[in-house]
Amino acid sequence: MEGEAAGASPDFHFYPTDLYDSEDRLHLFPEEPTRTGREVHAEMAGEPGGAAPGKAQRDLEEDVDELVHLSALGGAGEWGAELADGSAAHMEVLDHRLHGVQRDWRLGAEAEAEAEAEAGDRVFAGWGAAGSSRDLREAYRYAHGRASEEYECYVIPEEDEDEAALVFCVTCRAPVRAVEVSDEHRQHEVTPLSKALESAKDEIHKNMFKLEKQIIQMENFANHLEEVFITVEENFGRQEQNFESHYNEILETLAQKYEEKIRALGEKKRAKLEALYGQLVSCGENLDTCKELMETIEEMCHEEKVDFIKDAVAMADRLGRFLNTETDVEISTQPDFEDQTLDFSDVEQLMGSINTIPAPSAPVINPQAPNSATGSSVRVCWSLYSDDTVESYQLSYRPVQDSSPGKDQAEFTVTVKETYCSVTNLVPNTQYEFWVTAQNRAGTSPASERAVYMTAPSPPIIKSKEIRSCEEAALICWESGNLNPVDSYTVELTQAETPEASGVTESVVGIPSCESLVQLQPRQTYTIYVRALNVGGPSARSEPVTVHTTGSCFPLNQHTCPPWLTISEDGFTVMRSERKTPAKELLPGSTQFTRCVAVMGNLIPIRGRHYWEVEVDERADYTVGVAFEDVPKQEDLGANCLSWCMRHRFASSRHKYEFLHNETTPDIRITVSPRKIGVLLDYENSKLSFFNVDISQHLYTFSCQLHGFVHPCFSLEKPGCLKIRNGIAMPKHVSFY
Amino acid sequence: MALKQISSNKCFGGLQKVFEHDSVELNCKMKFAIYLPPKAETGKCPALYWLSGLTCTEQNFISKAGYHQAASEHGLVVIASDTSPRGCNIKGEDESWDFGTGAGFYVDATEDPWKTNYRMYSYVTEELPQLINANFPVDPQRMSIFGHSMGGHGALICALKNPGKYKSVSAFAPICNPVLCPWGKKAFSGYLGTDQSKWKAYDATHLVKSYLGSQLDILIDQGKDDQFLSDGQLLPDNFIAACTEKKVPVVFRLQEGYDHSYYFIAVFITDHIRHHAKYLNA
Repeated sequence: MEGEAAGASPDFHFYPTDLYDSEDRLHLFPEEPTRTGREVHAEMAGEPGGAAPGKAQRDLEEDVDELVHLSALGGAGEWGAELADGSAAHMEVLDHRLHGVQRDWRLGAEAEAEAEAEAGDRVFAGWGAAGSSRDLREAYRYAHGRASEEYECYVIPEEDEDEAALVFCVTCRAPVRAVEVSDEHRQHEVTPLSKALESAKDEIHKNMFKLEKQIIQMENFANHLEEVFITVEENFGRQEQNFESHYNEILETLAQKYEEKIRALGEKKRAKLEALYGQLVSCGENLDTCKELMETIEEMCHEEKVDFIKDAVAMADRLGRFLNTETDVEISTQPDFEDQTLDFSDVEQLMGSINTIPAPSAPVINPQAPNSATGSSVRVCWSLYSDDTVESYQLSYRPVQDSSPGKDQAEFTVTVKETYCSVTNLVPNTQYEFWVTAQNRAGTSPASERAVYMTAPSPPIIKSKEIRSCEEAALICWESGNLNPVDSYTVELTQAETPEASGVTESVVGIPSCESLVQLQPRQTYTIYVRALNVGGPSARSEPVTVHTTGSCFPLNQHTCPPWLTISEDGFTVMRSERKTPAKELLPGSTQFTRCVAVMGNLIPIRGRHYWEVEVDERADYTVGVAFEDVPKQEDLGANCLSWCMRHRFASSRHKYEFLHNETTPDIRITVSPRKIGVLLDYENSKLSFFNVDISQHLYTFSCQLHGFVHPCFSLEKPGCLKIRNGIAMPKHVSFY
Repeated sequence: MALKQISSNKCFGGLQKVFEHDSVELNCKMKFAIYLPPKAETGKCPALYWLSGLTCTEQNFISKAGYHQAASEHGLVVIASDTSPRGCNIKGEDESWDFGTGAGFYVDATEDPWKTNYRMYSYVTEELPQLINANFPVDPQRMSIFGHSMGGHGALICALKNPGKYKSVSAFAPICNPVLCPWGKKAFSGYLGTDQSKWKAYDATHLVKSYLGSQLDILIDQGKDDQFLSDGQLLPDNFIAACTEKKVPVVFRLQEGYDHSYYFIAVFITDHIRHHAKYLNA
């Protein structure tokens, strides 16, 4: 880099720095590596200039340069921000190149003014990847007016060889030599150059930060506007179509009504005219008849008497008959127009509905999305046809009852505006049938198809008192917590926060039954949860349980415990009271020990090493050891080949210790009675060892063939108590056995 | 204290060696056997001292006990000393098998003519450990002791007389109460004189009654068909009773059918090596 900077050619381009990064980059300027670079440069390239400036001088000048560029960058920042993209590739070389450029100016033989003008051009040409850079520069100059002029001025003093210190004139906003203060800038406010530099930097950083924020805001706003624009277009387009179809409908309806009315009127007119014409005709006929009769009578009057009489009689009859025929002179049809009310109600309705839309069609209800349900809620989703306008939906549901279809379950309905609804207050692990209708002012759609959703199960309940663990694993069991079966269970375990473990949650999934054996790391603490799963999703977490994988932990098996042996509330103290044992024999073959007063622990079925301790009363008669689950319960512990144990008898102030298996014991004498017995069950080496914990004394080791899993056993032959200590780290000394 | 190597044999990755040196305490040339486990090549190991029984030399233990594999695995340096000074030309030293040569009884004799040479107690507790510490890669802070019969007696008294010096102690068929048994009476009266009160200083059962030192974990194996047990030479019950009373932890295992021989030792040697390793490698 140094070499490159030093050897930069005069027509080298100034690339933009990343304005947002400048905070990091700018402070590099005065740092050592760069300075070294400058020195290298001075040695290599300083010669041609003939007058290599002193180091202090150079630094000062570079400070000036920096200030100049900072001012320029600061001012141009808002433009530069838009132009900066795409230039990232050049950023890295900037710092050094910047100096290279400046030095080249200084050492080159170009005219000062030209250099200035070109410098300005280069700066901006470099920024403007597009050809618009000049326009932007114009705009920039316009916006900044004098400031831009000053920017060009700043560069001028570079060639000055004066050794005097530089100060910054606030009034002129220009660096000046200290000596100049005396005349031109006497009345002006001046500050040391470095201070001015600092404040200028601060100012620029602040401005850049503001600009950055503003850009983000404006971009967001522009995006928002764009969205609104599209929405407006769509909505208005739809409404226009809607209006058009409605108006067409109304016009058609009116035209149809007109046709109907016209036709009806025409028919009525013809009917009336026909009736009147008929009446007119018959009236004319009557007239003719009357006239004829009159003529006949006149003729008769001129006849002779005899003929007259003869004819008169006949005439009189005929006349009489004629006169008897009623002449209808009533007008059969009224000439006036009967009241014809025009029914425009349907048109009015159409007119009224001109601003609304057709009633929606039936929505389409979605099938249940995986993992969308909770124990008390489901999220039901549906969709509408895109042409439909819907004001609200009515979502109805009822539980699916496959047992008694006769009894109809109550239906529930909720009204929502959205195309989804979280229905709450449901029963866990239950199927519900959902259907939905859409509504608007025009009416209600038909109902959708019915979809069956299922609520997630209730969280299981971990049987915390039945957890078994050892250093490598834990056996967790739980109650379903649900009446109906669930699909599976998930066990989640989080290692307690330690420097090594970062509290990551591991999951064991797809567990079909209500227990799980999980592998763990030794000597750690885990928080364990269980979830139940069905198609609707997982239940909430169960209440947590904490498992420490230190030593082994086992609960006592109450089913093996005879009635005269009691287990304390915490489950770890076995007590035999002073009461006489009942004479009544327990039934053999049961899970209870009948001969010895013993209880069995439920040890985790892991073929590793298990260690636990038992606190004993030195004078108590006890037996501790292990036995297979199917050890004959009507026999003493150690009296068969399915149990191995240490038995203590205290009689006539002597302690007797036996290590019994198959009714035999080695002859072993122990001088210090253990108060705390350590038991090490080692499946790997097929050994069972006993220790006096307090003095780390090894008492005895059985070599036993453990083809299956054995369980701890505790027996009290006389009243007394045993305290079982679980979760104890295996002492180091036991690892020798 | 120049050491002369007599033999060296590779065994379970380590080396079983025998050395000879001039003993200052005993005023004679003494041999001792030392097993260096593979671990001793790279670092200091704990030292476990074996004291043999009547008539034995350093050879009995190293050739018959079969301890090498366990010592190799646990990384223990095992040292077996001789049972008495040799070739001192003391009148009567070779007259019987249970007194004199091969029967030093791990006491510092106070009676003439034995007191110049028969200082086995000082030899096994002071001179030999110093020699070993100076010449072999052992950790002086970690040492234990065990033995058989007379050597079992020696191991018990060394541990009981030097609380804290030995991390652990064990014994095979030890002479537990020598002041009351024929062997002990003969030896003690010869080496220590007739004042029986002096004998108690070398009697494990008496020593344990006044033991106030740090916690000791004593492992004792005893063959049930041991002829010397029934002859009343070993008297473990007296020792156990004393330990029970003083709450000194002992696990005493009466092994059905075993006698006093190295066949018996070979069966349980691994348990004893493990017992010591537990304390030495803790």
